[in-house]
Amino acid sequence: MNVTQVKTPSPRARIQAFGGFLTNMVLPNIGAFIAWGILTALFIPSGWIPNKELEAIVGPAITYLLPLLLASTGGRMVAGQRGAVMGAIGAIGLIVGSDIPMFLGAMIIGPLGGWVIKKFDKSIENKVPAGFEMIVNNFSIGILGFLLMILSYFFIGPVIESANNLVTSAIKALVSTGFLPLLSLINEPAKVLFLNNVIDQGIYYPLGMQETLEAGKSIYFTVASNPGPGLGLLLAFSFFGKKAAKRTAPGAIIIHFFGGIHELYFPYVLMKPLTLIGMILGGMSGITVFKIFDAGLVAGPSPGSIFSYLALTPKGNFLGIILGVLVAAGVSFIVTSIILKLDKKAVEDDDEVFTTSIEKSKLMKSEGKQISRESDEILTVNNISKISFACDAGAGSSALGATTFRKRLQKENITEIEVKHYRIEDVPADSDIIVVHKDLLERARLSHKNKTIITIDNYINDPNLAKLMNELKEE
Amino acid sequence: MNMLSDHLKNNIRFLDEVDSWEDSIKLAAEPLLHNGCITPKYIDDMIRNVNVNGPYIVIVPGIAMPHAKNEDGVINTGLSLLKLKNPVLFPEGKKVNILIVLAAEDSTGHLDLISDLSSILIDEDVMDQFKNCGNEEEFIQIIKMVE
Repeated sequence: MNVTQVKTPSPRARIQAFGGFLTNMVLPNIGAFIAWGILTALFIPSGWIPNKELEAIVGPAITYLLPLLLASTGGRMVAGQRGAVMGAIGAIGLIVGSDIPMFLGAMIIGPLGGWVIKKFDKSIENKVPAGFEMIVNNFSIGILGFLLMILSYFFIGPVIESANNLVTSAIKALVSTGFLPLLSLINEPAKVLFLNNVIDQGIYYPLGMQETLEAGKSIYFTVASNPGPGLGLLLAFSFFGKKAAKRTAPGAIIIHFFGGIHELYFPYVLMKPLTLIGMILGGMSGITVFKIFDAGLVAGPSPGSIFSYLALTPKGNFLGIILGVLVAAGVSFIVTSIILKLDKKAVEDDDEVFTTSIEKSKLMKSEGKQISRESDEILTVNNISKISFACDAGAGSSALGATTFRKRLQKENITEIEVKHYRIEDVPADSDIIVVHKDLLERARLSHKNKTIITIDNYINDPNLAKLMNELKEE
Repeated sequence: MNMLSDHLKNNIRFLDEVDSWEDSIKLAAEPLLHNGCITPKYIDDMIRNVNVNGPYIVIVPGIAMPHAKNEDGVINTGLSLLKLKNPVLFPEGKKVNILIVLAAEDSTGHLDLISDLSSILIDEDVMDQFKNCGNEEEFIQIIKMVE
């Protein structure tokens, strides 16, 4: 099957690519989450070795560091280093405008910032008078970033407020039905959006304290703080996750389950939103078990680790509490595993319906990959948006090659591809294809290990350039 | 005025032959040295560029564009042209009879010059005429055609 036959990406490829996009935005930053998790588990007042001074890092790290990293990674994926800068600028507006950590917001504003600057750069390409490039580059980010910062600041306050109101009134409505497992429907999504403290300390703890005054314990302390569902999710990722997600999940388990820092599993849900189903079902089954055994805790377990659970379990409730945690973990493990496995299989299964060809399934996979640009496989010309010509000085032959190629593209009416020239070492990471003279291939390979590199011998009429042009035309 | 024809005016030379590719670069760059666009260091840089990175400056068969990174060798952006009756051999046996020396102050200020050059090379008819020019007037005329 000829790769050039794949014209527009199928919906499947788009979904695959979108999933890959979320994963690629979160995964590079998991290390920062773990660093923050360790710090928090150790030094907060209810931690292992409380420390007032070091605890001061906890808040700023989760409020600023982690969302900024996500936004910057998201922006970089869309528009290289300039996108990263725009993403971070936009995110600071969100962060300051809200009083909960802005993870989801950062994951939206980051790529959005990248997209804005990419569109802008494209619209002024070739129109900037010679010599003004630097000033235009800097001030375009400066001015657009300034606007994005203000926009996100004013936009986010009302959004958070209405989200909080919505969650609070939904929970109150569900509590009044008396059927508590339904609470998981709200709890789990709200937790992943970092509203966990809002719902726990704002709603469940007051309810719980009231009940404890009369009954000596309360189930409300457990409905959103059960560490079981998160444990199940992370176990599922440890066994059936892919690559880096699989390798980092075991470490996250320790910090989540024993350290009680639930935030550690949030990124895993964010990168595969479907796993929320596992979290909700896990949470529901946990609450059901607590209810059946009439189990409760005597106070709000903060942080929600298995140790604080056991420490706050009143006499005679141990069986119910432990079972509730284990059942929740089991259910979320099973459901999440199925989701992860289905996700892996989806491509092949669908395939049998359409065709039995194995090749096609490989193609589809690589199609998804191409869009998210994580592949260094054979050159497919789907979705190429940036071609970079490179040479030693970045001024002479690469400029000549890029200019000529750009003219040829214009002649073919292909306008959505950006062609620029750089010094080899300065070629930006968002380039889809790098073109160098064959004499410079080794040097280019050294700086750009996983990129598609096309080599040429003639800057104007090279067969390899002609081939690339033909493929771009067919696309 | 940032036109290729203006830059090349009085910077075009014709020679029958040269001894080596190194000499061809030196001779081609001489007008730029005389009018103060470059220092002798830039000529050395251009020759070293070929020795280090290979003859990639031979941009299409027969035409070389000697240039190098500006490491204090370029004072003003400029171009000069040398046409040889008998081609000179560059490394890897590449025959060259037109050299267009490019001295660029930075990586962006000369792009319209590059663009004009590209317009000549991209069109086979124009390029054929360009290769067969016998005097400065003819060169300038062809360049003005594409500007």
